[in-house]
Amino acid sequence: MKHLSRREMLASTGLAAGGLALSASGVGAQSLSCSDVYVGTWGGDYQDLLIANFEKRVLGQRKVAVSHDVANAPPRKTKLITEKSGRRGTMDVALLSESDMYEVYKQGVFEELDFSKLKNAGNIIPALRRSYSIPHIYSGKIILYNPNKVSPAPTSYADLWDPKYKGRVGFADGLYVQIIESAAIINGGSVTNLEPGKTKLAELKKLDPKVYPSNEALAAALKSEEVWFTIMWRARGIQWRNAGIPVALAVPKEGATPIIFEAAIPKNAPNKDCAYAYLDAMLDPEGQTGFAAKMGYVPTVTNAKLDPKLEADLSFTAEEQKKFIIPDLETVAKNNAQLLDWWNREFKG
Amino acid sequence: MVPAALLVLAVLGMPLVTLFRYSFNRFVPGQGMAEAFTWANYQRFFSDPYFINVLGTTVQMAVLCTVLSLILAFPVAYFLARTQSKYKSLLIILTVFPLLVGNVVRAAGWMALLGNNGFVNTILIGVGILDTPVKILYTPTAVVIGIVAVVLPFMILTLQSVIESIDRSIEEAALNLGAGPFTVFRRVTFPLSLPGVLAGTVLVGILCMNAYATPVLLGGPQFKMMAPALYDQMIRANNWPFGAALAFVLMVATVLLTIASTLALKRRTARDQ
Repeated sequence: MKHLSRREMLASTGLAAGGLALSASGVGAQSLSCSDVYVGTWGGDYQDLLIANFEKRVLGQRKVAVSHDVANAPPRKTKLITEKSGRRGTMDVALLSESDMYEVYKQGVFEELDFSKLKNAGNIIPALRRSYSIPHIYSGKIILYNPNKVSPAPTSYADLWDPKYKGRVGFADGLYVQIIESAAIINGGSVTNLEPGKTKLAELKKLDPKVYPSNEALAAALKSEEVWFTIMWRARGIQWRNAGIPVALAVPKEGATPIIFEAAIPKNAPNKDCAYAYLDAMLDPEGQTGFAAKMGYVPTVTNAKLDPKLEADLSFTAEEQKKFIIPDLETVAKNNAQLLDWWNREFKG
Repeated sequence: MVPAALLVLAVLGMPLVTLFRYSFNRFVPGQGMAEAFTWANYQRFFSDPYFINVLGTTVQMAVLCTVLSLILAFPVAYFLARTQSKYKSLLIILTVFPLLVGNVVRAAGWMALLGNNGFVNTILIGVGILDTPVKILYTPTAVVIGIVAVVLPFMILTLQSVIESIDRSIEEAALNLGAGPFTVFRRVTFPLSLPGVLAGTVLVGILCMNAYATPVLLGGPQFKMMAPALYDQMIRANNWPFGAALAFVLMVATVLLTIASTLALKRRTARDQ
């Protein structure tokens, strides 16, 4: 009886995806000392776009077969932490948002990257670069509002506290840190002092804000015009607007907060050569452009050129970029548990 | 036998032992779990009214949903057990059919039905019963509806198999002796079906105590039962020690409730005999 290798088994059960495409790419064909790479990622559009823009275009040339471990971020974080003491992990590349990535990095899961192994590393926007990960895409936290109901257009997070919009402000439960941060910024706080956000949100609670269990539930409430205001990622706002949900985008005068989605290599990754190849592919300028156009996020490399109209839609202006509020990941990591506790008991309770 | 027992011990027992050990560790914000031996996580749970409330809500919901499912399931189970219809097998398959659909998918269906712009509100407004939508989604009522819908097939099938084993002539004898249908049910059918009621109650009670997807999706973020609270601690707050303590409190509460309901029903059986 023939024993299936791990790769064959994954392929036979439909988990293998991506690799072995034949299309040409900017990266020349080159053989590696490995043939498989296991990538922990989100599913849906995200996975499809990874396959189309990076795996088939770039890695297919190098004959690298990609298998996906599809899950939301929390199970992926848990898996990475659980496996960290093991000699051999199950992921070569893990994709997470910057705050999740930092939290897991602090627990000693990821290795410091050797950027000399990444041909495209020189093109990374310097402000987005970290020692343990590469930035894949980014967007920013802004205000979304219903242009049919809200007039004049909001200019500040403080506009969500306007009593005339009582009961019309809605939030996604998962964005509690970002919402507390927004409230802190307009109440004398900062990215390293989020406590004033609690008092400000306690004021908002009197105006009957709604909290929805997921982004999708919030989108449904915006679509049905049950709520008219929220704080959300610009990319998500563009996706929703393009899907016919009545939302317009407003960058708050306090400044947008960037959100970066990153990729890193666990210390116990079984195929590190291929993991570096995968990270390099994710920085491919054409792939980044293709990914950004579909997902509504902005490329993280300076040589990715967007269509000017698309760029105006997705990107932040130079002035807006100057006002970016850069989150303090250490503060978020240290306060996450107590902020969640407060959010559950005091704000939602 | 021995290898099977060892396998069960390994795959079931060891993770439980590991998790139990975690529940005595310490949580360091920003770093995760630190090795320790402290009762602090259990103390925190039992000294915090918020978590006591969460446990109280969980027990209330489990009891309510179990009783409701028993009341709703009994007539259906009785009909399925006694029917001579050639479609009996089809009816049983239809009862099992909802189990083929995942809890999340079913909850999504309820969301479409119970939302402000959902089917129920649209109909009620359309026929003029309501002027404005009534809030059903993201309320405890929605959770009760959702959980009962999930557990009902388990209760029906458990009861049906036991009722089928009750000799019909016993009920007919009671009727012949002048008992009315309700008396027959109260004095004959129900007491004889108590083993099924016990099995169904225990099975459904355990499922209700540990419900996760339905309370999250239909109860909304404000509504908290133990399983979602446990998820919050383990996954969102990354506080594994406290999450592990919650898991063991939930497990012990479930076991105690199971023992209590078993004893209560056994006492009832003994009294009837």
